[in-house]
Amino acid sequence: MGLLTDLKDSISRAASTLFSEENPKRIGIYGPPNAGKTTLANRIARDWTGDAVGPESHIPHETRRARRKEDIEIERNGATVNIDIVDTPGVTTKVDYEEFLDHDMEKDDAVRRSREATEGVAEAMHWLREDVDGVIYVLDSSTDPFTQVNTMLIGIIESQDLPVLILANKTDLEESSVQRIRNAFPQHETIPLSALEGDNMDEVYDKIAEYFG
Amino acid sequence: MPHQCTNCDRTFSDGSKEMLSGCPDCGGNKFQFKPAGADSVDTAAEPPDPPEPSGGSSVAQTVGKTAATVKDLMGSATAEESPTRSDGPDTTGPDRGDSRPSPEDTAQASARTDVVSVDELPAEPSDDGEHHFQPVQTDDPASARPTQTEPSESAPADRVSADAAEDDAEPTADQKPRADRPGLEELREELNDQFESIKVLEPGQYELNLMELYDREEYIVALQEDGRYSIQVPENFRD
Repeated sequence: MGLLTDLKDSISRAASTLFSEENPKRIGIYGPPNAGKTTLANRIARDWTGDAVGPESHIPHETRRARRKEDIEIERNGATVNIDIVDTPGVTTKVDYEEFLDHDMEKDDAVRRSREATEGVAEAMHWLREDVDGVIYVLDSSTDPFTQVNTMLIGIIESQDLPVLILANKTDLEESSVQRIRNAFPQHETIPLSALEGDNMDEVYDKIAEYFG
Repeated sequence: MPHQCTNCDRTFSDGSKEMLSGCPDCGGNKFQFKPAGADSVDTAAEPPDPPEPSGGSSVAQTVGKTAATVKDLMGSATAEESPTRSDGPDTTGPDRGDSRPSPEDTAQASARTDVVSVDELPAEPSDDGEHHFQPVQTDDPASARPTQTEPSESAPADRVSADAAEDDAEPTADQKPRADRPGLEELREELNDQFESIKVLEPGQYELNLMELYDREEYIVALQEDGRYSIQVPENFRD
């Protein structure tokens, strides 16, 4: 299926290049909680518009509603690429307020955060079904990528024939292993980066222009 | 008689498939959810049963295996607290719900056998005329959230814009303290049964079925601890 998907991706990418004068592509930033999606969204938005998208946090599920930043103009090799980015809540199959109690949070707040996070996952899945033209899939390269959430989400994205760029984030961490992510999803190109430090963003923008331009 | 046609007041038993294609009597397609014992309900309507997800979609096939694994995991984690329910209560027909002597049907009884005995239940659950279930934790500030249980009136049908996030309107009026917690356990189980996308294990603990969430046309916009939820219905879903 990987080969077929690759082929479809190439065709849709070629087609989208032909029609790049049309409306900006809406690119969803997806991934599990705490992968660095908002950090990346803020990095992209700040680099090209000067604004941020939303607050970042080391506590999981900081982003509980999808946030959109429209008409980001990225310049690559003399050409410009216009995209809307949608920073989505981290997708997971289990949300438990007790996880938040370790972060100095009162129970009431933890329960509320938990419920909002659950609503956020529902919203993220809804956006994936209806509203995105491409996906940036962000993974924390210091953790194991072989999870059901990742497998299932990438499976859904592939079945939708959406172009997907896999980013191995957090390369600034010692435990980071980009190769582990490449091995997990060999059918897709994996780009290493540190959204926090801004490392390798040039290549990220090159690939964004190539995939979603 | 958890479901009632808002047009002709015909009632349907829990899990009834009759109403899926509209009320057989009057053709109405708006129903309200009435928990057992809530006979004085006369106001807002609960969303009708969701449609069957399109079973043969390529998506489902592509990731079906993974979904099954996840479902199995979820199932094993919660098997002991989920009553098996194939076709609703078997002792009451769709139209005879009102004649039941007890405010509790057999499915509900089996759902809560591990929790409390009948003696511990309030004899005659009082009702405040609202169709809403009460929040489990009445001291939870989070229960003072806006509720939108009228999906047919929610304006944008395709999605909620991201800007709506800050839209924390005034709390609903029915968030009064209540002591009937055992009843809520049943109701939660019952809603969990009908609505498999999100399982509420207890307030603040959820299990999500990503494939279900993805496959649904409508989408959940607000959850309550007791399993109450609001969904947004796509345009072509009405009339």
